[in-house]
Amino acid sequence: MRLRTWRAGRSDWRVQALSIFSLSVAFVCLASALLVVTNLAAVRDRWSRAGRATVYLRDSASETEVADLQRALEATPGVTRARHVSAAEARREVVSEGADSMLAALPPNAFPASIEVSFENDLSDDDLASMAVKLRVLPAVESVETYARWTERLSALLGGGVTASTCLALIVLCAVVSVIGSTMRLLLHRRKIEVEVLKLVGATDGFVRRPFVLEGATQGAAGAGGALLVLGVLFLMVRGRFDQELVSLLGVAPSFLPVPVALGMVALGGALGAITALLTLRRMAAV
Amino acid sequence: MSSSPPQGTFRPALRPGHRYDASAARRPILVFEGVYKSYRADQPVLRGLELTIERGEFVFITGPSGSGKSTLLRLVHRTEQVDEGRILFLGRDIARLSVPSVPALRRNIGFVFQDFKLVPSWTVFDNVAIALEVLGLPSRVVRTRVGESLERVGLAGRGGDRARVLSGGEQQRVAIARAIVGDPALILADEPTGNLDPQLAIDLLGLFEDIHEMGTTVLFATHDRTLLDVRARRVVVLDDGKATDVPQGLGALQELFEGESGGEGADVQGEGADEYVADSGVRGPAARQVVG
Repeated sequence: MRLRTWRAGRSDWRVQALSIFSLSVAFVCLASALLVVTNLAAVRDRWSRAGRATVYLRDSASETEVADLQRALEATPGVTRARHVSAAEARREVVSEGADSMLAALPPNAFPASIEVSFENDLSDDDLASMAVKLRVLPAVESVETYARWTERLSALLGGGVTASTCLALIVLCAVVSVIGSTMRLLLHRRKIEVEVLKLVGATDGFVRRPFVLEGATQGAAGAGGALLVLGVLFLMVRGRFDQELVSLLGVAPSFLPVPVALGMVALGGALGAITALLTLRRMAAV
Repeated sequence: MSSSPPQGTFRPALRPGHRYDASAARRPILVFEGVYKSYRADQPVLRGLELTIERGEFVFITGPSGSGKSTLLRLVHRTEQVDEGRILFLGRDIARLSVPSVPALRRNIGFVFQDFKLVPSWTVFDNVAIALEVLGLPSRVVRTRVGESLERVGLAGRGGDRARVLSGGEQQRVAIARAIVGDPALILADEPTGNLDPQLAIDLLGLFEDIHEMGTTVLFATHDRTLLDVRARRVVVLDDGKATDVPQGLGALQELFEGESGGEGADVQGEGADEYVADSGVRGPAARQVVG
């Protein structure tokens, strides 16, 4: 069958190449969306396990209150470290890191003193939330930042990404079905004599259909594979330029699609191609 | 029938699960029983056709255009379905075969067409090998048998050529090689010489006769009288939906009419021979001679 498929496919290689190109374009959209979702998920996971909180202190808080609070935090189970950052130190860190003249021009009281708290990795979100509630009622505490809001926003963004990816997957599915269906109809038309000859010498419907189904599967898989290749090259080019910036901004390095996802996409392309080819041929009265 | 039918060792290719019926070898290879076929209700092509073809026969099917020669062959090949009646191939009613059984029937029948029905982009080898590939034979066996078939039709060493570069005669030889490569019990030839010049047509007929000598039954549809006169063989004349069997060939029939009329061939034309020859639409020198 492979020989027959190769024999038939060789003579129609232009049609096959055009089909694979069209499928690649469709799959690039899906793969891009999956790439964004994958990296968003990584950022969300990174920030949901940030393991730290910032306790902003009131300007009126005395040194004794701050020291007591620091000691109390250090003694709290789940807390690994509590570091006091004065307003001056906060200003120094921000101005030196950002090197922004506008930030440097801000008055010293624009940078509140705080206690940076580090937690053990296994501290649950509920424990962190209840600790934040208790800290907020203390007279020396202005506010508590647990970075949960960032995680929530990222989760919301991720949800949007997943929805967009699902929509894209459906569009890609329609595109794949349309492209492979049209290609099969065209190939069947071009190989009308071949099909006729096969039927005349006693080929079963399955025997006639098999090369077409294999070609459909190959086109689908090759389209998905081609899309991954193109996206991979683009990803490497972009990552080389922005890797460091993204790491410092988000705390995680951008990553390409995991191997199971990439393989799954190729398998999806192959399966879609095979099923579409089979359905198209079934609908054609000749085969 | 001009020669005694050799006893071949043909065993039909059967669908899985079906047993070989040895008694089938003793039956006529083809029996038409009251076969009706029409494409338009008011113009039946075949009207109650009765015909029996024994194993190992070489039978010409002739008649004017539209008399049903091709239809008859297509009915045997199950490319067309009978409207009424039965066609028994080795004892089995072709008309009642289920759709999945049709490929198995066709694997036991070689078909040669006027327009060759080759895939132009394939090589000669591929065009012949496909008849064995559908049987699922190993590639080694396929190579050997395709080589033998090409040798039989005089195309040894041409397996690598594309079908499209061959001449008409060569293409028809490839089609014949494809028809015989599966060692079928029956070969149907539908005007196989229609696109060839007279000399090539006679050469090709010789090839069919060689195949017949090996024990294969041949049904050769033609309206070329020249071919019918090459050798005395059984001729079935189709006209007006009926078959007229001429066991010793049209030449013998003509002699018979000439003999009955005391050698005054011109007087016989309108009364007897022309019913079989002139009105049957067969072309060629002999037909012209009888018609006058």
